[in-house]
Amino acid sequence: MKLAYYPGCSAQSTCAELNTATLLVAKKLGLELTQLFTATCTGARELRAVDPLAFYSLNVRILALAEKDNLPVMTVCNTCTLNLLDAQTAFQEDPALAEKINERLAEEGLHYSGGTRITHFLWVLFEEIGEERLKSMFVRQLPGLNVAAFYGCHITRPPLQYGFVDSRNNTSLERLAVLVGSQPIDYTGRTECCGFHTAAEDENIAVNMTANHIASAKANGATAMVTPCPLCHTVLDTLQPEMNKGRKAPFKMPVLHLSQLVGLALGLEPDELKIDKHVVSVSNINRWFGRPPSVVERELA
Amino acid sequence: MNIVPFQFKPSQSQDSLLARNTLLKLGDIVKIQVKRSEGGANNYQSFEVPYSQHMRVLDALNYIADHQAPDLAYRWFCGSKMCGSCAVRMNGREVLACWEAVLPEMTIDPLRNLPVIRDLVVDRTPYEKRVASYKPWLERDEPYSGFPEPLTHRDMKSVSKALDCISCMACYSACPVIGLGDLTNFEGPAPLVQLAQTMLDPRNGAKKVASTLESIDIFSCVSCYKCEEVCPSHIPIVSMIIEPLKRKVAEVHPEKARHALVFKSIIARRGWIDPTELVLRTQGFKALLNVRRVITLLLRGKVNPVKTLFGRAKVSAAAAARFITKDKS
Repeated sequence: MKLAYYPGCSAQSTCAELNTATLLVAKKLGLELTQLFTATCTGARELRAVDPLAFYSLNVRILALAEKDNLPVMTVCNTCTLNLLDAQTAFQEDPALAEKINERLAEEGLHYSGGTRITHFLWVLFEEIGEERLKSMFVRQLPGLNVAAFYGCHITRPPLQYGFVDSRNNTSLERLAVLVGSQPIDYTGRTECCGFHTAAEDENIAVNMTANHIASAKANGATAMVTPCPLCHTVLDTLQPEMNKGRKAPFKMPVLHLSQLVGLALGLEPDELKIDKHVVSVSNINRWFGRPPSVVERELA
Repeated sequence: MNIVPFQFKPSQSQDSLLARNTLLKLGDIVKIQVKRSEGGANNYQSFEVPYSQHMRVLDALNYIADHQAPDLAYRWFCGSKMCGSCAVRMNGREVLACWEAVLPEMTIDPLRNLPVIRDLVVDRTPYEKRVASYKPWLERDEPYSGFPEPLTHRDMKSVSKALDCISCMACYSACPVIGLGDLTNFEGPAPLVQLAQTMLDPRNGAKKVASTLESIDIFSCVSCYKCEEVCPSHIPIVSMIIEPLKRKVAEVHPEKARHALVFKSIIARRGWIDPTELVLRTQGFKALLNVRRVITLLLRGKVNPVKTLFGRAKVSAAAAARFITKDKS
């Protein structure tokens, strides 16, 4: 099936491994992705606050680019998803705004009529592909993995925005964990906030909030975490060393991107999926597959 | 290792009032655990309450107070979702007791982030003092021109939403940044909604707005939408209160909105965000002092100085530049 692919800024820079993994996994899943290379950033939270008209215009432009090819647009980042959905709603509900935006798009030869469907890779797995087909494509299971899902705020709130998941009804990542043969872990941080959107200015908020989530995951037996958002991943993984300061035992909690977890079950190798590009490394990935640790790993342990 | 597996509960997306009212029928018993102040951190007193037609949490609490625990402390007044007195947490989630239908099993806790006076009653004075410190009234620059004032509904869109606030404090309890306590000076969603009533009112004088916003921390909001999720008045707190307030601050005190303005200028020049440029321009070169992190990021390929210095996405940058309004400076 064909989809327009909007990777977002993070997957093209600090989380480039997410882009690599997603493209590999999409191929295996039979998703034909057309990347929107001439798109722009969706503006995260900052642009929406300080220049709302630019925010709506740039997001509708992304939707218009997908509409040109008559394709739904698939994201791999929660905030991108929220922004596109937000702009779509504003465009559909405010004809004056829609006209203004289309005037600006016309300078580029673009036009938007409001028809693009917006989806996230997580939703594609369940809605486009479905659990039965996924199960049949998973050639490898991960019985040695206890995985704690970190959904991220922007695909769970505000409520009623997303028909697929909301903060009281999120089970998609846990269901996926079962499909790949692993054990989903319950803990307090599942639908909590990582604090990414204040992290560039003041890391303290993100570091403190997320340290609690990782601590809970660890206390409940998780050996890894998975998230569908690279912004959450950046806090959980890249800022994890900061969370270890003053802690008796460092967390050592590896964090996977959603497409990496799916990729492992599809038979792709960890280094193809660039799991080695994370800040927190996985020390015993063979254990996840239920294989005994290799001789080298046993000696290092 | 203590493994706590995830339990798949029946779907809660069908959690409408109708659904709730069909979960229980007359003759059923509702099991309630209520947090009491006496007896330490984990003191929950258990009660069993006979279900009554369309029972709300408040009805259950009243039953308990009437028949089983006359010393139970809790607040309520109008019983109709208007006064904001009765907010509590039910099964961890902030609700208005007078409006929330009961579940067969419930744990009732007081609101978070406010001092507990007793049982379910919290001290609202930190909130009241903070709002009073804003001097929350209009101070016009020009004298009142006379009736009718030229004011459109569009001018007052955010303010009219903010005026829906009943000061129930559910959002304040749900806010994870407020939950960090003294780590930040964040105002919190409830005070900011009150603040917005005057700060976003176009009749307010520029001097008043500038001086009030100078000492306020709005940018610690993480945009998690937990406040919007629990607001009983359905105020879009993040999108119609906090973000317009951030915009106001960026206009009158751009030095406080550094991150947001740098973000905007990077998109205007590059079309996409370069996180290296964003962090260096927001934090300054002290960001490079974390040598361990800089080296790790370089080794893992998570930063690319060449791309930062020389990379350009021409079409994207041109489009962004056309749409983004220049700062007046």
